[in-house]
Amino acid sequence: MSAIATKLRSVAGLPLVALVLVSGVLGVQLAAGGGSFTPLRPASPCEVRDVTSVSSGIDGVAERVVLLGLDRTACRLGTTREALVLQLAQTAQHTDAQVAALRDGLLGAVNLLAADRTLPPASDLVDDAVGQSDLNGFLKIAIGALPPTVIDHALTTSAVLRGTIDGLDLRRVLANLNNPDDLTQQIRGAVTKAVEQALLDRLRALL
Amino acid sequence: MRRSLTVPLLALVAGFVLADSAIVTLALPDILASFDGTVAQVAWVLIAFNVVLAVAVVPVARLLLGRDAARWCAAGIAVFAASSLMCAAAGSLGILIAARCVQALGGAFVLVGTLELLVGATDERRGVARWVTAGVIGTATGPVLGGLLTDAFSWQSIFIVQVPIAVVAVPAALAGRASPREPTVDRHRPAVGPNVALALLSAALTAALFLLVLLLVDGWHRSPSTAAITVSVVPLTAFLARPLARRVPATAGMETATGCFLIAGGLVALAVPPSASLWWTIPPQALVGLGLGLTVDRLMLDAMRDRLPRALHGAWAIGARHLGIVLGLAILTPVFTADLHDAQVPAEHAITRLVLDAKIPAQDKVTIARGLGDELRHEHGQVPDLHPAFSRLPPSAAQLPATAQLKSDLDSQLERAASVAFRTSFLVGAGLALAALVSLLWPRRMGDG
Repeated sequence: MSAIATKLRSVAGLPLVALVLVSGVLGVQLAAGGGSFTPLRPASPCEVRDVTSVSSGIDGVAERVVLLGLDRTACRLGTTREALVLQLAQTAQHTDAQVAALRDGLLGAVNLLAADRTLPPASDLVDDAVGQSDLNGFLKIAIGALPPTVIDHALTTSAVLRGTIDGLDLRRVLANLNNPDDLTQQIRGAVTKAVEQALLDRLRALL
Repeated sequence: MRRSLTVPLLALVAGFVLADSAIVTLALPDILASFDGTVAQVAWVLIAFNVVLAVAVVPVARLLLGRDAARWCAAGIAVFAASSLMCAAAGSLGILIAARCVQALGGAFVLVGTLELLVGATDERRGVARWVTAGVIGTATGPVLGGLLTDAFSWQSIFIVQVPIAVVAVPAALAGRASPREPTVDRHRPAVGPNVALALLSAALTAALFLLVLLLVDGWHRSPSTAAITVSVVPLTAFLARPLARRVPATAGMETATGCFLIAGGLVALAVPPSASLWWTIPPQALVGLGLGLTVDRLMLDAMRDRLPRALHGAWAIGARHLGIVLGLAILTPVFTADLHDAQVPAEHAITRLVLDAKIPAQDKVTIARGLGDELRHEHGQVPDLHPAFSRLPPSAAQLPATAQLKSDLDSQLERAASVAFRTSFLVGAGLALAALVSLLWPRRMGDG
């Protein structure tokens, strides 16, 4: 009996030790997430996600609109937000379909934020936009003197943002992605113009 | 020269020749930076040595049959030393690769000669055992030594350090005498089983020694010396393998088969690290090291046992090992290069997601995104360093905790992408080790039948 046990040990002892060692190492590694140490995968763009921004004023609103707009555009084009961003950033020529989808996506994002009531009051944007605009000093003082409640009564943020998006030359925006200063100027210019236009429209309506 | 000095010197020089097959692994990025060349061209600094040694060692062994092994060995050491100097002084990649070829040719004479001289200086059993052990130690410690020297001095120091050892070994070789009983004609055919297993295992070990250092240095951006210290686990556990195995009684064949299984298991474990922490590479490397310690020397001895002429069968074993290394490089390099290329898109998507969702001002996101775009455009098939993308930020933004977090998260994504890119290659390596195991079991099963 002991001879059989000795024979068995000599045949199976070392392989068993090796099997235990390999299983132990692999088991611990897999339990610690060994199989899932992979790059972060893009989230589904068709699922609504909570979008926040650390910036305030126009920059903060613009960032939230852009992030949500990219999701909606990617969902519509059947791609991911990340693939869309890389595609838009790495291509010099953008198709009409891409530009149209982006505009629709951004407008959809504004509607979504408006429906969620997470857009700041228009007076916040107006102060910011007028401060950065090239309006003459008299007009700046006049608009600055208006109480926020009057501005908020006269304008809605969503209308300003829609006007901004409609007025933006998206092809130029996409071409300027590598030039952040021009890009910022372009977006702020469009916001200011949309604010001006909305205020003038309101003024005309009152008169 | 005294025998007590001759034997260690001859073993040392034989170990150095075999260490040279992988010694430049950790120096390849520095060599690439020194010369105008591509990654594929620089890889030939490694491949050329192994190809020439694999092809030349058997003809050299035939040439030396019946000749004065001491003189030929001394000449081989001199050629090896001179070509090492040539490697260190090489002004172009072409000259470096040519010098490596000459080094391997000299190395072939050294290996065949030292085997004969070590047997002559001791006896058949001890001489062969010392020659085999020197080779195993050399192979296992080559990448470690190369990494430490490259980080401490330069890649050239890898070759310079070999010269004085070779110079001292020349008189040791000239003082030696080969065993007079060696026949001059082939008496036995090469041992197919052990040599095939050696070739397959060497190909698998290429994954452990070559790919792991590439993953650590290029994929996880660790310094060559950190990588060298990390991969020293393999030689350390290889030394411990035999004493540990003695505690569990097993037949020689069972030890070798178990060693193949341990190498395969270690490579599978290297394919699935839970993070880029170096600690996670230690247990898998320990498995590989234990496997190495149980297999290579035993297979070398099996390939040479009771076969004459001894030098010729030793040369067949060396040829098989280096052919295996070349086979491993030939199979694994295109696999991981293609996987590294395929990992680019998921990595870019992960990076884009992190930048878009980062809790930093939009203006900073655009600045970082532009920098990242530039770094990714200039990556040339390597894992890029994304840190320069952050240098464009104003100092106030660069010091924000959210920016530091983004930088760390991006590094993590690259580490993840690199780990995934190396996964298939490690698994192919494991497959090669299992193929070696099957090759060992196959004749036995046939015999049983």
